[in-house]
Amino acid sequence: MVKTRTWIVLISALLLLSLGLTLWLWLHPTGGRTANIYVDGELVRSVDLAAVEGEETFTVDTGRGLNVITVSEGRLRVSGADCPDKVCVNSGWLSGSAPIVCLPHRLVIKFADSSGGPDAVAG
Amino acid sequence: MNVKGLARDAVLTAVALGIFVVELQLPALTPIPGVKLGLANIVTVVAMFTLGWADAAGILLCRLVLGSFFAGNMMALLYSAAGGTLAFLTLLLLRRVLAENQLWVASVFAAMAHNLGQVLVAAAVTATPSIFVYLPVLLVSGIITGLLTGLAAQYTVSRVGRHLRK
Amino acid sequence: MRRAAALCALLCLALTACSPAPAKQSSTIFAMDTVMELQLYGDGAVLAESTRLITELEKELSATDPEGGVYAFNHTGTELGKSAAELFLRAMDISRLTGGAMDITVYPVVLAWGFTTGQYRVPGDEEIAALLEKVGYTKASGFDLPQGAMIDLGAVAKGYTSDLIADLWRQRGISSGLMNLGGNVYALGKKPDGSPWLVGVRDPFSDTFLGTVEAEDVAVVTSGAYERYFERDGVIYHHIIDPKTGRPAKSGLASVTVIGPDGTLCDGLSTAFFVLGLDRAAEIWKSCEADGASPDFDVLFVTDGGEIYITEGLEGSFSPTNDYDTGDVRVIRRG
Repeated sequence: MVKTRTWIVLISALLLLSLGLTLWLWLHPTGGRTANIYVDGELVRSVDLAAVEGEETFTVDTGRGLNVITVSEGRLRVSGADCPDKVCVNSGWLSGSAPIVCLPHRLVIKFADSSGGPDAVAG
Repeated sequence: MNVKGLARDAVLTAVALGIFVVELQLPALTPIPGVKLGLANIVTVVAMFTLGWADAAGILLCRLVLGSFFAGNMMALLYSAAGGTLAFLTLLLLRRVLAENQLWVASVFAAMAHNLGQVLVAAAVTATPSIFVYLPVLLVSGIITGLLTGLAAQYTVSRVGRHLRK
Repeated sequence: MRRAAALCALLCLALTACSPAPAKQSSTIFAMDTVMELQLYGDGAVLAESTRLITELEKELSATDPEGGVYAFNHTGTELGKSAAELFLRAMDISRLTGGAMDITVYPVVLAWGFTTGQYRVPGDEEIAALLEKVGYTKASGFDLPQGAMIDLGAVAKGYTSDLIADLWRQRGISSGLMNLGGNVYALGKKPDGSPWLVGVRDPFSDTFLGTVEAEDVAVVTSGAYERYFERDGVIYHHIIDPKTGRPAKSGLASVTVIGPDGTLCDGLSTAFFVLGLDRAAEIWKSCEADGASPDFDVLFVTDGGEIYITEGLEGSFSPTNDYDTGDVRVIRRG
């Protein structure tokens, strides 16, 4: 049997390692600007905008239709959608606090700031 | 399993569920999702070390499923099932190498395995690998809460373990 | 070891002894042509009740849905439902307060511009003049309107809905909650940590917010030209129609935010003030003395030039973001 002291040392080491990693990640935030994509209020995907290199495109199947989303450094747009009104596509590139909404597909893209923004935005 | 064993496991499941439901009512300790005390795991650890893996697995399964019904959140079942399975396997492995008075060690590692499982599922469900940055902070919380529940389980086994095994 | 275990057991006991803090419940609802987000701390069943209330109100207040209550009132003269009738009278009060700058009878003109359908067009002068014949809150006697007149409660519907939901939440014992009905925000009580809710005000010139206001038991409602507009021959036409001219209001304001305990009033006033412009709106605000008897509200104006004006009640509560200097913010006072 392994001695209890060995276990304590091992666990302490793991704790210190995790603490160190947490601290390091906290001091080196990965840009923090995250775009969260919701369908019908459920989070289906979130993208760290700061970590994107070049341009990336992916498709979200909302169950009511498709939205093609393009992300590039720090910003995001809906580049295509088979919804009737195309409000989401016409919103263009966004990187701020205003959400992109595709009502027919019940798709909402919100930007989350790690630095604690307001609880809601009027307008 | 005889009738006595069945009744004993049912009581243990009820105790685990009771602890689980009470913990649901507690305010969140931190704003980080996934960080919780996990007090109901005391029962799992106790069962594993006094009754063996089969009884422990049954109690854990019943508690997870019923707990998700009580919490009214079936999505949570997915997370806790993944975490629970990994944690259970960890307990199973460590049981062979741990002395009776070291069972709290198993609880610490099980809690860490549970957090790993949660993050794996979250990354898969949201298709977002960057969720792994939460792992270190979850591990910190897992080690601390695992230690707390482990010590509580140790205490329980030393007090009532004999009666349970009977 | 035993001492540590005892300590741990004690700790667990101490934690369970705490009174249970209500859990956060939230939901997203697609209604009234927008996205609504509700969050409250307490019983999740209240959210389901709120959703039912919104669905009922949407039906009763809709002027575009052929099965809607206001649609029936406009087209077949069917009596308005209880809530729609109440809101009709509230809207008439706001029209009187603002000299008709917010007017629910402007609907025929809004229809002509295509803002309800998205089939945008620029109506000719004669067409607008003919339509304006039927417009005017003074032409209504009670619920009777002249032949061909139509109403739309859209300018006050979301504010009214937020009031009813807030009432429901209070009745159900909820003391902390926040709703955002497509940009109409209502903050109930304080955050569970005891601090006031922080509500951002959208920057009319970009997709971020220009600052935040602290909100407790108040609605925060913004009207701006950026919300819905179209472009024809290089000219931008937005959706806030001046009931006097029948054309998109041009008052030198880019957006108006009204903050106060009465969501219906804030909603109606934000539209009216956008139409009236800074000076006339400020006059109305000054005339409403903060004596408890007159309507109680504060206003944040953003001019086309990007200047921010706040009424004195927002001093201390409004803080601009880094893009704006505190020096750019001018305070309007009653004295």
